[in-house]
Amino acid sequence: MTAITHDEAFGHDEHEHHGPPAAHYSSRISPGVLGMFLFIASEIMLFGSFFTAYFFVRVVNGTPWPTPPYHIPVQVATVNTFILMTSSATIHWATTAIKKGNTWGLRAGLLLTFLMGLSFLITQIFEYLRAGFNTSDGAFPTIFFCLTGLHGCHVFVGLSILLFMTIRAFRGHFSAEHHHGVEIGGIYWHFVDVMWIIVYMTVYIL
Amino acid sequence: MTAATVEETHHVHATAGGGSPWRMLTRGGWIRAAWMTCLFGALGFGIVVLARWGGGWHPILATDPIVLVSLLVAAPLGFLAGLGAFDYWTYYALGGATRPEDHSGHGARSWKDYFRVNTDHKVIGMQYLVTTIFFFLIGGMLALLVRAELAKPGMQYFDNQTFNGLFSVHASLMIFLFIIPAFAGLANFVVPLMLGAPDMAFPRLNALSFWLLPIAGIMMVASFVVPGGAFACGWTGYVPLCSTHQPLGAVFFNQAVQWAGASSIMTALNFLVTIITMRAPGMTFWRMPLLVWANFTTSLLVVIATPFIAGSQFFSMFDHVMHTAFFDPAKGGYPLGYQHIFWFYSHPAVYIMMLPGFGIMSEVISVFSRKPVFGYRLMALSLMAIVVLGFSVWAHHMFVSGMASWLRVPMMITTLLIAVPTGIKIFSWLATMWEGKLHFNTPMLFALGFLSMFVIGGLSGVMLGAVPIDIHVSDTYFIVAHIHYVLFGGSVFTIFAGIYYWFPKMTGRMYDEKLGKLHFWLTFVGFNLTFFPMHIIGTQGMPRRVSDYAPKFADVNMFISIASFGLGASVLVFLYNMITSWRDGELAGSNPWRGMTLEWLVTSPPPVFNFDEIPQVVGSPYEYGVPGAQHAVLVPSKATEMEEVPV
Repeated sequence: MTAITHDEAFGHDEHEHHGPPAAHYSSRISPGVLGMFLFIASEIMLFGSFFTAYFFVRVVNGTPWPTPPYHIPVQVATVNTFILMTSSATIHWATTAIKKGNTWGLRAGLLLTFLMGLSFLITQIFEYLRAGFNTSDGAFPTIFFCLTGLHGCHVFVGLSILLFMTIRAFRGHFSAEHHHGVEIGGIYWHFVDVMWIIVYMTVYIL
Repeated sequence: MTAATVEETHHVHATAGGGSPWRMLTRGGWIRAAWMTCLFGALGFGIVVLARWGGGWHPILATDPIVLVSLLVAAPLGFLAGLGAFDYWTYYALGGATRPEDHSGHGARSWKDYFRVNTDHKVIGMQYLVTTIFFFLIGGMLALLVRAELAKPGMQYFDNQTFNGLFSVHASLMIFLFIIPAFAGLANFVVPLMLGAPDMAFPRLNALSFWLLPIAGIMMVASFVVPGGAFACGWTGYVPLCSTHQPLGAVFFNQAVQWAGASSIMTALNFLVTIITMRAPGMTFWRMPLLVWANFTTSLLVVIATPFIAGSQFFSMFDHVMHTAFFDPAKGGYPLGYQHIFWFYSHPAVYIMMLPGFGIMSEVISVFSRKPVFGYRLMALSLMAIVVLGFSVWAHHMFVSGMASWLRVPMMITTLLIAVPTGIKIFSWLATMWEGKLHFNTPMLFALGFLSMFVIGGLSGVMLGAVPIDIHVSDTYFIVAHIHYVLFGGSVFTIFAGIYYWFPKMTGRMYDEKLGKLHFWLTFVGFNLTFFPMHIIGTQGMPRRVSDYAPKFADVNMFISIASFGLGASVLVFLYNMITSWRDGELAGSNPWRGMTLEWLVTSPPPVFNFDEIPQVVGSPYEYGVPGAQHAVLVPSKATEMEEVPV
């Protein structure tokens, strides 16, 4: 349908086309960081819809929490919370290290963060397997699995990002000047951690 | 996600051209898409079957929708990966060094370039528009089938389930696959040009968001062919009707909404970042054209609200597939919760479907009246007011749902309040035209049609915002009339106006003005004959979404059905005009409408990277009729170089 293409109309031939002019940046914030913040805003709203469902079940319907005869292993989750909070500190260490050009600090920080995130996820999988209830066992299990599961998916995505960052760090792609990838991935990991604290408070503690 | 940063705007695309059969199979494109779709589908299927087997359930259980879900998630991912949408990110994630930009994924040199992952915002804009018009035609034909069934009382051609499926898929296609993405397509083409930017902030993300769209559309249409037929619970997908009493088609709806929603969130994010970080020098927020403002505000709505419909469809699907108890009262769920969560997105969504149209109207009306937009700042601020107020009105869709009764009056008040910023816009457009030199070209005709029709739709909206009237006409044809006056008389008219207005810029050729005017008048008359009588039969009590009706409505319905076929035929004029003009229309200059905004400063169609040199913005975009006024100046790089040569 496109009888007239750009080149026909302007006599450009295929080899002539030159790159774009350098884009003019009208803001001090880097597009990648801004994009990540906006993405996190929409993620917060996704969690918001899950918390709305939690509100309807727990507050409006007054479902007992946890509904007997079920239990939730609060101690395990508390240990897990500490693991995840520590991993926030290690990713912060990794980003500060690379800003100073310390590539070994970056590598160690990323690796530690990755391992802690992984142990969090594995613990959660075992928690699911030993929960003693299933998604189809009523409103409390539904909300329990869906809120922690949604968060678990985010941990998985965060871990994938950490893995990619670690690979790149060991290949030496980051330096004091170029560390956007670590910075943006780090923002996401902090978001995952903060979100866990909210999930932990609402599902396990309150 | 993280890969889409500026430092990494390098593009990797397997170079086209012949090669061994192995290269044919592994090169990003349709062949790889075909086998990867199958592979990923099989993997997703396998994982679910293994998990079920491990958990002690029957591994497949032919009717269990969870197996279908695994296919609907995994196969499209395979398609996208095969087509090449993830090529660069995969390469980056596995630790490849960032490659220098070779621009091979940018621009279109032949029609084939429209069928691959293309990173040029202009190509993506065209891809969006052609795809959405394709689904517009399918959705329109479904509507005609609905009207055929409703032409006479009693059952004609379809059974109840099929009839319900027809109008459900009609609405879903029109909303998720036509109106929302058609605006995204127009904005994709125009916004970077208007900003003086070479492209969007994240070109690869932009390409990916487009390719999610056909997936969503095909899922919705494909729901007709699965056992049990299409989802038949309306586009609102209320539970428990949609979560437990529907055939497999309901899962197609849940999934399609996720794909379309993801597409629109990614596009909105891209627009926001582009508008914030890539404006030309001198283009302050108060010098942005109102179309850019409109897409800025719409994108805010999309980023904040769309996750809620994602949530609602997750819950509905989990209730269907995993037998969770979100909305099942017998197990402690809260059925009304669905409506709250759904409308918390879907009311802002009506502004997502309208604000970009407002932006198009401001451009068209100002240019064809040869006058500055009246109250430019207030126009922009009223958009922001609509965004804020839009989040506070959702429960006016639920006056008869049995929700807490104290919620009714506050929702009524906020609903009526929202008429204020909308009214500001309507009166500003009227004031813009006041004593202007009006040119009645096709875009302007559609703009005027929009103004008059949208006022009717807006007024019936104010009526519906009032609790007593809403209770009286709830679920009648009055609602059908209202939504079509707002979405067809409002949104679709603005989309047509936008397509005609930027057609010369997109294709480099002029559309046929006579056919354009014919299209407008056929649409305008057909539209009113079709939808206006629905107000009357609605207040008399004809229920919507029912395939049969009382004999006393027979004559009006026959009239409506005939008119609707006329309205359908008007689209043929549009298609004929577009296709023939695109092929051999008169060449349009770079600025056929004498517009001031930046897109008219470059050739039609624009060069691959839009501007050879980023323009300098020096004034307001709408100073029509002001002698010597300029919005921007182009400083050709060669001229500056020559000045620097020492004499």
